[in-house]
Amino acid sequence: MAMAALPISEAASVALSPALERAASRLASIVGPRAILSRPSELVTYSADGLPFYRKRPALAVFPETREQLIAVVRALAEERVPFVPRGAGTGLSGGALAENDAVVIGLNRLRRIISIDPENRRAVVEPGAVNAGLTRAASEYGLHYAPDPSSQTACTIGGNVAENAGGPHCLKYGVTLNHVIALTVILPDGELVSLGSTEGERDGYDLLGAFVGSEGCFGVAVDVTVRLVKNPESVRTLLADYTAIVDAARAVSAIIASGVVPAAMEMMDGPTIRAVEASIYAAGYPVDADAVLLVELDGLAAGLEEDVALVERLCREAGARSVRVARDEAERARLWQGRKKAFGAMGRISPDLVVQDAVVPRTRLPDVLAEIHRIAQETGVLVCNVFHAGDGNLHPNIAYDARNPEATARVHHAMRAIMNACIAAGGTITGEHGVGLDKLDYMPLVFTDDTLDAMCRLRDVFDPERRANPGKVVPVRSCREWRMAPNTRRGELPA
Amino acid sequence: MTSSDVRDAVRDATAARAPLRIAGRGTWLHAGRPVNATRTLSLSDLGGVVHYEPGDFTLTARAGTTLGELTSATLPHRQFLALDPFGDPSGTLGATVATAASGPLAYAFGGPRDNVIGLEVVTGDGAIVRCGGRVVKNVAGFDLTRLFTGAWGTLGVITEVSVRLRALPAVDETYAMAVDDRPDQLSALIAALRVASIAPLAMDLASPLLASRVGAGSTTTLLVRLAGNAASVRAQRRVLDTFGDVHDMPVDVWNIVRTAEPASAIVARLSARPSRMASVWTDAREAMAGVPGAMMIASVGRGIARCVLPETTPDAARRLARCDATVIFEQLPAALWKEIAPSPVSDRLSRDIRERFDPAHVLNPGVLGEAVAP
Amino acid sequence: MTAAVGPTCALPDTPLAAAVPGIMTCVHCGFCLQACPTYLALGDENDSPRGRILLMRSLVEGTLGIDDPDVHTHIDQCLGCRGCETACPSGVPYGHLLEATRATIALARPLPLVARLILRTFERPHLLAAMLAGARLLRATRLPRLLGRLPGRLGFAMAMLAATEGRVPHRPYTRRGTGARGATAVLRGCVMRGLYAETNRATERTLRANDYEVVDVAGQQCCGALHAHAGDLEGARRLARVNIAAFERSALSFIAVNAAGCGAMMKEYGHLLASDPLWAERAAAVSAKVRDATELLADAGPARGASLPLAITYDAPCHLLHAQRLVRPPLAVLGAIPDLEIVPLTDTDQCCGAAGIYNLLEPEVSGLVLTPKLANISATGAELVATGNPGCQMQIGAGMLRTRTGRGTVHPIDLLDASYSRAERSPT
Repeated sequence: MAMAALPISEAASVALSPALERAASRLASIVGPRAILSRPSELVTYSADGLPFYRKRPALAVFPETREQLIAVVRALAEERVPFVPRGAGTGLSGGALAENDAVVIGLNRLRRIISIDPENRRAVVEPGAVNAGLTRAASEYGLHYAPDPSSQTACTIGGNVAENAGGPHCLKYGVTLNHVIALTVILPDGELVSLGSTEGERDGYDLLGAFVGSEGCFGVAVDVTVRLVKNPESVRTLLADYTAIVDAARAVSAIIASGVVPAAMEMMDGPTIRAVEASIYAAGYPVDADAVLLVELDGLAAGLEEDVALVERLCREAGARSVRVARDEAERARLWQGRKKAFGAMGRISPDLVVQDAVVPRTRLPDVLAEIHRIAQETGVLVCNVFHAGDGNLHPNIAYDARNPEATARVHHAMRAIMNACIAAGGTITGEHGVGLDKLDYMPLVFTDDTLDAMCRLRDVFDPERRANPGKVVPVRSCREWRMAPNTRRGELPA
Repeated sequence: MTSSDVRDAVRDATAARAPLRIAGRGTWLHAGRPVNATRTLSLSDLGGVVHYEPGDFTLTARAGTTLGELTSATLPHRQFLALDPFGDPSGTLGATVATAASGPLAYAFGGPRDNVIGLEVVTGDGAIVRCGGRVVKNVAGFDLTRLFTGAWGTLGVITEVSVRLRALPAVDETYAMAVDDRPDQLSALIAALRVASIAPLAMDLASPLLASRVGAGSTTTLLVRLAGNAASVRAQRRVLDTFGDVHDMPVDVWNIVRTAEPASAIVARLSARPSRMASVWTDAREAMAGVPGAMMIASVGRGIARCVLPETTPDAARRLARCDATVIFEQLPAALWKEIAPSPVSDRLSRDIRERFDPAHVLNPGVLGEAVAP
Repeated sequence: MTAAVGPTCALPDTPLAAAVPGIMTCVHCGFCLQACPTYLALGDENDSPRGRILLMRSLVEGTLGIDDPDVHTHIDQCLGCRGCETACPSGVPYGHLLEATRATIALARPLPLVARLILRTFERPHLLAAMLAGARLLRATRLPRLLGRLPGRLGFAMAMLAATEGRVPHRPYTRRGTGARGATAVLRGCVMRGLYAETNRATERTLRANDYEVVDVAGQQCCGALHAHAGDLEGARRLARVNIAAFERSALSFIAVNAAGCGAMMKEYGHLLASDPLWAERAAAVSAKVRDATELLADAGPARGASLPLAITYDAPCHLLHAQRLVRPPLAVLGAIPDLEIVPLTDTDQCCGAAGIYNLLEPEVSGLVLTPKLANISATGAELVATGNPGCQMQIGAGMLRTRTGRGTVHPIDLLDASYSRAERSPT
């Protein structure tokens, strides 16, 4: 994958600054010498996350294994004033888990315990590195599950989900991570331990929990997370409708939304995506000659569900579906979903590199925007694979290409920007679930005014006045007021 | 009136060091702590729906738009905004969001933080901030929308709100059932309801006085709102029948519940983890025992009991404050606030947020019990 | 995929250069992480498939040198279980990439002495036979049972030997089918013939009972799997050629393999010798006849036996599940045994840490990988673990012996054989 696009700045052995040298020895004494990496050859792996277009090698990577170690690590870094980047499973798709060579990656993947499950109150307390699908697996014993289900759920961590406010197909009905986090214990970048939200009823005052969820690692590190668990639905029906024109599928989406039925999920894949999936081990039996398939899931109480299924089936057909099939059993349902969830990975088959996009448009604009994306693809001669959460209007137009061809790469980037502009013009936004990270920094001024970006800077400065937590992400530093006033200000330093 | 007018008013207030009391239609001003202000900034002229595309199930309106006006706008499209705070429909959208006020429907749909998708806000330093957007899923940038929601106007004046809407269900019915509210019995009932094959929009326990106000009898009563297609509601009703003697209620029972509180009452919300609901209910009932006119309504699934007392019964309020639960007062006689309701924004982060968004302390100073600059 | 990196490849004309297209298929999505036993045990992405692919890529790009000790460490620590392949949506041929990387590293750094000794022994049939005979003698003294409780490498090795003691009685029976399903040779194997001879007999008997005609093929040697996994591709090719020539001499329908690791290797002879013009076609032809023994039995039914009222659990060998992608056949074999209760095993798709000679070369990581496997086995409450690969049988069996968990391991075919044997002795 596009790992070659931005090669690592090469220096066989990087000399650490005195502060980093001190930090390295303090961290080693906290976590033990085997839980800290400092040699360049060991840090190569931590130079990329799920979007390997970007590569940046951190100065160090440290892996606390206990809550106490994590707290001590953050405090040591605070005392040495060293920047850091929290990292879960590194499956993020915005370059958000990458660190510059003056920063330390705090790997949270060893803090992966499920601390407790409280079936009566339908909640669980987990460490930040607990894996999303692992939580659902543990909760299944009680007939419960953790609802946000990003496609990377077999690998991604709850801490990472909190940082990104992750979504997933089923957030159409059940809501995103924000709606499922009850409380957090957070270690702030300055080493203070705070609790946000409440496990004992309502929390009065500012919604600091709401502000923290989706802060992309810039506000601190979650030490534990209390999440809501959801009762498994009594009954589930999954439909697959296939279309010879993607615009018809988009019309079906609008019709279903307008009908008032709230599907648990409503996902769309276009022809190139279908064919990549069908070539993979996750082949789901999607018709390979279709221009689009729509995957609609309805769930809830058994009573009344069949009526909704019949309605959705009729609406799919009225929009021009060539066929509509309802999964006969759990195995078929799982197969249909596997294809969808692994679609992103399957695109590795098409060409060596991939740019991943994540825009949201108002749902009524889906047909226009998809047509516009098609037009842009034709005009620029790039291959766009659309696989997305149609029910939310959350598009993922991904472009497969070969980064070794500079001319093609230039066309891809031109197309991406044109697609993003089309989504914004339709009243949409630049990211629905992947986050801004590094990748979408440049798009932020397209959707937010200077005053709004400055307000975001102010909020960050409350949690992290020294800007040491995941520096350089989310808000372009030039948007902050003091930067605008004093353009010489260097990253990570406040003006005097 | 426009957002620029609001910005000018905030800038003027800062220049004149004349703090503002921010008001919507002015119907809920008795809520919250006394505000140390010299001027009132009323948003009652900042009304109207700005953008409504029914197919998107989203709507944008100016902050002074009333909830009643929103209902009139959305009903023809068989849609509604799932926020039903206590109070009458003349309450504004801006005030609902600013106070994070929610009602019985929050059980199924969440509160303002779960339904607001974008805001326009004039911050204390006179900047116009537009956060979130008009789409239902959005993680662009830090979440200022959640920050301003429930901040009681102390970080900025909300001037415009974008919300997600829901489809009106085909069938929407409410049932009532008399309940034995002795602790063990109540606890068992709640536990059984939790695992029952029902998916209510709201499920609230009403104290005898409130039950009689809505015409549901004179004992503690469970009100259950079931919605969906006809087959689903029929089946859920049958499940409910297994719990006791269920009778039909008119759907406007919820409007009666929401407006049953006298404007000047003492209002407290007691909450805990949902499994402690029966114990919170019992504690609150005992704290209010013997107080004429005391009422209570509890959102069973959320573990929140809303207690209403006449303003003349401060001792009962003091007893509520001591209950083993999280106690949040919405309304209190002015003198009682300092005594029994500590400020929820005294922590370092909250104080710092206030400094950065309202450095001159011109927005509703004192409403959250924070130390007010002289 | 298009052409290899070509002029920019830092390691031209190495096995790794040929693997570049496979490396480029990785999209770095990370879906492999939780499928990787060493990542779960060590918590470092350098010890994950994605991380190792990035190391491989760095070798190709020249940003890391082929002599880099960190690269060696993390490539050495890979079990080669290929659990990542069944999790990979892009279809990265990880097993091939790993073999190519190890082979390329081997050009720069000789294999560890222990590995070389083991591999050379497996290439010398007489020496190997003598050593295994010695092992059988030692096993017969029952001393390994005792010594197997000692800490350290020696103790574990003794426990592995003790684990090869039969756990089910094998009594010959005469039941045989028509032979109509075709002439079938059973791979004798090295460890199988030396320490699990009864399982080989059981394989022959059960195949015959299910209508296969079993023929003996002389001239077989080690399949070469251990060599290929260690990066000694030339050693593997030498052995492959010997075996191909041996099996070609008989007109066979099938080559039945009851060791999952050997079966996976033999199914890949075609790939192994793809660039050898004299052997490529012959290799592919032999590979096409290779079946896991349970595949053949499952294709035939298999015929039901007599009741064996036992509670067992089943652990899938990686080279059956991930490399050969066979899920159902071993379960079909067990399913033909009336009253056999198969308690589901959590994380059966995770490696046990045996991985050929890995447990001897990387005992510490191997132990970390084995620990959760033993805990999951213990949680089933079953006394016996069925698994169709000698390495796994020895590794899990040794772990069970040392932690006093249950009675040990058996091959699924051992159980079917015992069931057939009972049927003949007490016909129902």
